[in-house]
Amino acid sequence: MGALKILLDGANRNRTLFVLLAGFALFPIYTGIADLPFWNDLAMRIMILGMAAMGLNLVLGYGGMVSFGHAAFVGVGAYCVGISQYYGLYNGWIHIIMALGACGALGLAIGYLSLRTSGIYFIMITLAFAQMLFFLFVSLEQFGGDDGMSIDRAEFIIIDLWEPLRLYYLIWAALTLSSILLMFIVRSRFGVVLQAIKGNESRVEAMGLAPLPFKITGYVISAMICGLAGALFASWQEYVSPDIMHWTRSGELMIIIILGGLGTLSGPLLGAVVFLLLEEILPELMHVVAPNYAENWMIIFGPILIAVVLFARGGLMGLVQRVTGGRT
Amino acid sequence: MTITLLLEQMFNGLQSGVTLFLIAAGLTLILGIMDFVFLAHGAQVMIGAYAAASLTALTGNFFLGILLAIPITFASGFLLEFLLIRHLYRRDHMDQVLATFGLILFFNELIRIGFGPAALFSDLPKALSGFVNILPEAPYPMFRLVVILVGLACAIGIHVLVSHTRVGAMVRAGANNEAMTAALGINIRLLRRFVFAVGACFAGVAGMMIGPLTAVEPGMGEPLLILSLVVIIIGGIGSVRGAFVAAVLVGMVDTMGRVLLPVILRSFMGQAAADGAGPALASMMVYILMSLILVFRPTGLFSPKG
Amino acid sequence: MKKILTTAIAASLVAAVPALADTVKVGYMTTLSGGAGIIGKQMQNAVNLAMEHTGGKLGGMDAEVVFVDDQRKPDVAKQLANRLVKSDKVDVVAGVIWSNLMMAIHKPVTRSGTLLISSNAGPSPIAGAGCHENFVSMSWQNDQTPEGMGKYMQDAGIKSVYLMAPNYQAGKDMLSGFKRHYKGEVVAEVYTQLGQTDFQAELSTLRAAKPEATFIFQPGGMGINFVKQWNQAGMDSVSKLYTVFTVDGVSLPALKDTAVGVVSTQTWSPDLDNAMNKKFVADYKAKFGGYPSFYAAQAYDTMMAIDYAAGKAGSSDSAAMRDVLAKGGIPTTRGSLAMNSNQFPIQNIYLREAVMDADGVATTKVIGTVFENHGDAYAKDCKF
Repeated sequence: MGALKILLDGANRNRTLFVLLAGFALFPIYTGIADLPFWNDLAMRIMILGMAAMGLNLVLGYGGMVSFGHAAFVGVGAYCVGISQYYGLYNGWIHIIMALGACGALGLAIGYLSLRTSGIYFIMITLAFAQMLFFLFVSLEQFGGDDGMSIDRAEFIIIDLWEPLRLYYLIWAALTLSSILLMFIVRSRFGVVLQAIKGNESRVEAMGLAPLPFKITGYVISAMICGLAGALFASWQEYVSPDIMHWTRSGELMIIIILGGLGTLSGPLLGAVVFLLLEEILPELMHVVAPNYAENWMIIFGPILIAVVLFARGGLMGLVQRVTGGRT
Repeated sequence: MTITLLLEQMFNGLQSGVTLFLIAAGLTLILGIMDFVFLAHGAQVMIGAYAAASLTALTGNFFLGILLAIPITFASGFLLEFLLIRHLYRRDHMDQVLATFGLILFFNELIRIGFGPAALFSDLPKALSGFVNILPEAPYPMFRLVVILVGLACAIGIHVLVSHTRVGAMVRAGANNEAMTAALGINIRLLRRFVFAVGACFAGVAGMMIGPLTAVEPGMGEPLLILSLVVIIIGGIGSVRGAFVAAVLVGMVDTMGRVLLPVILRSFMGQAAADGAGPALASMMVYILMSLILVFRPTGLFSPKG
Repeated sequence: MKKILTTAIAASLVAAVPALADTVKVGYMTTLSGGAGIIGKQMQNAVNLAMEHTGGKLGGMDAEVVFVDDQRKPDVAKQLANRLVKSDKVDVVAGVIWSNLMMAIHKPVTRSGTLLISSNAGPSPIAGAGCHENFVSMSWQNDQTPEGMGKYMQDAGIKSVYLMAPNYQAGKDMLSGFKRHYKGEVVAEVYTQLGQTDFQAELSTLRAAKPEATFIFQPGGMGINFVKQWNQAGMDSVSKLYTVFTVDGVSLPALKDTAVGVVSTQTWSPDLDNAMNKKFVADYKAKFGGYPSFYAAQAYDTMMAIDYAAGKAGSSDSAAMRDVLAKGGIPTTRGSLAMNSNQFPIQNIYLREAVMDADGVATTKVIGTVFENHGDAYAKDCKF
């Protein structure tokens, strides 16, 4: 099949994802008309989080590798931007290349060392590496330590980021490209082998394929996607700090993927949308329904997540599939 | 660093380890024997601490507080298993992660609503506030000795329970071959509920022990959770003996690392560099330990035996 | 006919109403949910109390206060700041507990022409080279309080001191601030882990070192843990404990009498003798049950400062209010507050001791003044 055919077929199979992408593309028109431009900030946060979650989903959902350290790659991508600006380098394209390169190299190193283990041992080793990176950046006083660094938006030649929507669509473009890339990967021979490894690694070995190179390659690609998300995040937030790579952010990414639907292309983005929307809406709801307990909104949030597990097998995408009769 | 100080620090490491064991024991039972990823284990610690602290304040007596808090903690574990956990055994580990994460949020907020966001007052009982000279010139808080004794008692208790009682045999059988055990007429569901409640109970006792020593506040269990996960991985998931050895090891390494690393570093680095690198390295010590052990023993120190 | 008459009456009534007065809009940002929610809660209480005291107005004009919860996350804070400035179009963004959140929102808010007033955070970059004229601090610069303790211990002739703080930026700032004025012997400088709950090992080492004095910074839950364990290990017979930001209105309810005797330095204390403070503390206790912490006092001061600035400027214009505040002489719970060239306060630093009051509640009492009219060390680097 030609690439275009694959693309159209993929869009058809992953309608939710492409509906969401289209939605994000059109969203600024709505906020412009309704004069609610600050919602664009929420949308950008969702897109960035969704992108990072997609990256992790490649190894977690499709590859069965539970990496607890992927927030570290987001952080490294962000610090590529921060540290470059510290030394006077403001070119956004270079930032992106640096982020991809740094995270690719780091992903290779960490993946090579960690993928010798599996199961819960792999989880803890990736957590250990992420913690080490976190403590490393906390100790770098030159770059603000844990107080972080205030930075500027990167300069993308051709694209002037100070125009209100340029950053928005830059993030959107990165998200869409990542989605399409992942779609091709998942359907390729590489992707099929990766999923087979998740299902039964010894069988793949018996077929004469060495699993480790596949796993490492998947790990590196996922790290690079997270790094890209991190670089764009730094430009949006105009601030970098080690908070981004705290292990709780890795946990958040995992929660989003599981919520959305593990091992589906649309799941991570859908999960990010629902998760962040809940964080926005629940406090407002509590203000109206039970104002004395408004700041305890997480007492509703927790059970919602539990309910999704109990009643929506396969996460939100599972729910979507059941509602649309098997189509995603 | 005198010999006395060194020995005293090893004692501190032991106490730290024993406290970790109390938390890790329940977790290794639940994860190892029932193959259930129970992230909300830290919440059980918190429930135990709050139960003891509030009952002590209510009754005015520390021992009475603990006596009443233990069945409450047991009951909370029992109830939780019945209401929620039993529906999740067959689910994917990742689903268990999501559900128990939601449970953490729920419990923390519940405590915050019930007791307020500020830390509760909790202190040592007067009877146990004294000191014991474990070494000449090294007064050691009596309560911490009690914690060590309680931990050791619990360790022996679990060992006896699992290895030398009928219930323990049933638990081990159920972990090994569920269908066969059920076919023998043993109520697997009740058994699982019991194991879960026992695990919750130990976590609660850990909370009751650390309550007087530390701040009793919402979310107090989460920092301990990660460390106890490291412990059961080093020890071998499912092995209570492994949890004990690993907990003491981790307690020792963590304590001695915090205390000795800056000193060691200072001997070949400048003062400022050592003061900066020391704590950073110390916080990573436990992870480095875990990684090293996994290199040589990929499934932990002990095999699952209970 | 009836319709025309009623319409005419209505129209004339509308015409008779004077043009709506200016509204002062304040966006107040703290952490309300999650672990540190207690601090945000106290600040929210104080802000509400202030609004009660001003009759719901600021500077005599209608006022609107929007509370937002930053959840202690920089990206949430950034999003909220953008919303407050661009959508809610507030005249002032105020509050902010944490230094890292302040670093995240400082540039966007000040650059937009909106006044940014800190009720707590005071990281050194925005006091020095990174300063901006649209920022005013109603709290302090992070180094000031430990500088006070350093000076006190130097003047008191304390020969040796053992230092301890958590291993993060604020911890390092506290100890370097201390050493700026203390020139005696530093026996050891120990950095503990952030979130550490058990200090027994550190206390053992401390006891072996037998320092004359021990100076610590352990905020939040860490402080409760440390002071409790210090007490339980009988360390008072080994060394005298000096603190900053460890024993305060947030930790004392949990410590009760175990903290009695612990000395600290701070820019404020509940027993400061001026009319505004007396009223604030009394009303806060009556309404919320318990002494306010310095976070609450600073939050109260922030609202009172906005009230003062709006009144004097006669408008809700950010630049006008800022100019009033920059001149100083602001009425606060610390007395009349002077402003430094970088728009951080010039204020006294007091020596305080934790005591039990007449009702058996733990609080702090001023036992001396270490610095009078103290300015921070970074003002000279600030050029608007």
